[in-house]
Amino acid sequence: MNARTISALALAAALATSQGASLQAQQTASAAAKATDPKAASLVGGFEDKLDLGGIDVTDTFTLVQKKAGEADKVLRIQIYRRDAADTFTLLFQYPNSEKGKGYWRSGDDLYLYLPSTREFVYRNRKDDVGSTDVRADLFGKPNTLAQYWASLAGTAKVASWDCDVVRLDAKQLDVDFPVQKLYLRRSDGLPVKVESFSAGETLLRTSYYIEYKEIAKGKFIFTKLLAVDALENDQKTYLTNEGISTSRIADYTFSKAFLEEQSR
Amino acid sequence: MGRLAAMAFKNVFRNPRRSFTLGINYSIVALILTALLAFSRGAADNVSTSVVRASAGHVTISGQYAKDGRIYNGLLRAPEIEAIAAKTLGPKASVLPRYLMQSAVYYKGLSKRLSFTGIEPGLDTGLAGQMRFSGGSWAEWAGDPSGVALPKDVAQYFGLQVGDDVVVSTRTRFGAFNTGILKVRGVYSTDNYFMNGFVLTHLAFLRGLDLASDDSVTALYVYLSDPSGASAARERLSAAPASAGFEVSSPKDDTEAIAAVSAASVRYEADKEGRDRVMLKLSTIGEVLGIVRSIVAAVDGIGGLVAAVMLFVVAISIFINLRMSVNERLREIGTMRAIGLDSGAVTGLFVMEGVALALMFSLAGAIAGALACLAVGAWIPVPAGGSLAILLNSGRLALEPRLGDMLCIVLAIAAMAAAFSYFPARRGGRIRPVEALASTF
Repeated sequence: MNARTISALALAAALATSQGASLQAQQTASAAAKATDPKAASLVGGFEDKLDLGGIDVTDTFTLVQKKAGEADKVLRIQIYRRDAADTFTLLFQYPNSEKGKGYWRSGDDLYLYLPSTREFVYRNRKDDVGSTDVRADLFGKPNTLAQYWASLAGTAKVASWDCDVVRLDAKQLDVDFPVQKLYLRRSDGLPVKVESFSAGETLLRTSYYIEYKEIAKGKFIFTKLLAVDALENDQKTYLTNEGISTSRIADYTFSKAFLEEQSR
Repeated sequence: MGRLAAMAFKNVFRNPRRSFTLGINYSIVALILTALLAFSRGAADNVSTSVVRASAGHVTISGQYAKDGRIYNGLLRAPEIEAIAAKTLGPKASVLPRYLMQSAVYYKGLSKRLSFTGIEPGLDTGLAGQMRFSGGSWAEWAGDPSGVALPKDVAQYFGLQVGDDVVVSTRTRFGAFNTGILKVRGVYSTDNYFMNGFVLTHLAFLRGLDLASDDSVTALYVYLSDPSGASAARERLSAAPASAGFEVSSPKDDTEAIAAVSAASVRYEADKEGRDRVMLKLSTIGEVLGIVRSIVAAVDGIGGLVAAVMLFVVAISIFINLRMSVNERLREIGTMRAIGLDSGAVTGLFVMEGVALALMFSLAGAIAGALACLAVGAWIPVPAGGSLAILLNSGRLALEPRLGDMLCIVLAIAAMAAAFSYFPARRGGRIRPVEALASTF
């Protein structure tokens, strides 16, 4: 990722941040919602359908740049192999050299982190942060929001120039990272453009901006630019770009522990 | 025998230069051993007392519980366990709940991960006396359910003052993040090494932050009126909760005891057994301090080795000195034998001279060692932040010279002097009177 791209992302994020504050009234969702509103469920189902790449194998390269005030930028580059139909993906760290060979393999609810230094697999929460950044591993897989959250409508809002429906998610169980989330779904195509993640005490912890999507098959989308802003750490932001997207078939062997072991050699 | 003993004492300084040279060696060995034992006794007692005052009971009840297919650190049904402990051990025992967890603290762009200790301020008052507040007070902190008392260095790191609010954010035991706001109600320092990093909050606040149920705690500390009865108390305690449906065990070794006592709330693990249960681990303070005992034993061992080398050198000196002494006193030996003293009596006289010298100087050395320890312990301050911090009591090295230890050291040196005096003394005793009187030195 070059400096120009980062600047463009930062500008887009700044724009989104400034206008995201214009959340309109209609904050009707109860903090303790215990049921899913059918309309909210329909909105969530709508974007999940578009992001569900079932039937398509996707290979792409993510570059994460974490910027934190007073610290050097942290850069990670990860190769992703994704097969939503089998609810599986493989992440392989390519940069920096200190992380090279490390990888994740997810199969259903099981997520394994491979550590080449010790040649062992560590079982992790599927929502693990990737390489200690603000981006979680489940971001790369098939979304399954309604299995984990109650959804309710929380009004409308404008994010940048987009009119959005706001859907509030309340965790069914406390084993998710963020017990409360607010999704800002673009009315034009139903895709999320902003996600606010809250603690159980409803303190805003993180805001993710989905700045750009790419349609890789008819009605199927994948995000290509994302910005995650940490609300507690001063000026900590993670920029994520998704490049080199290919939908060619991926060998089955890629979705295995053996593949990660082989790649680290 | 009495006359021989009196004569032996008179003969101790017959050759003052030689006696003092040997005697000083005895004194140095006694002094070193006294100081070493004072150090190890002091270290063991100090660590034990500090740990009990800060982070363990005479018996600590910790453990895990399984619920809905997951295993969590800590205890459920804590009030029930408290009641069982109180009923089993009687009114003289007290049971204090603790909640331990780690959480990140955020303040004005700075963040740091800290270890939090949640206590019941009304019950757990023993900590108050160990905290010197430079801002706020125990009462202010105890009166505010969202109050936090911070160690001075933590407050300085963040630039926090009493009255400031800080945000805490943690990944709870269930995996979800939770946040809270704490108000600084106290900034303190302490001489207790084991309390140094305590970020003190109310137990209920910490439990709420961890999204844990109202009957959960990390551990229960049981304090007894007689700490020496910890093992017996543990035995009694083991039986009672078991009959109430708890699974009770003791740590397999000292390492497991330390792990059980120090475990803070962490994320759950999957439960393979698939049945809800509460598993208690009862650790005595002796087990928790097992590693300290090992370290102290190692220190004692090294000291003992040094002392053994010194004593060996002294033993050679004794041997040589006594041989020289026998040679110098051949006429005297001959006279004693001529007037009727048998061989054993002459041998005994020389052995007693050696023992008397050893007794006098080793006693003096032990007393000097004890006085030096008391002086260092009373007057010489040691920086609290240094590597010796764990051994400090109120900023001074914890040294405990004991009379029993001193007597053992003196007797051991005297016994060694007797053993190494015997062979040259026996040689002197075996010389026939006529040979002795005919010989000249």
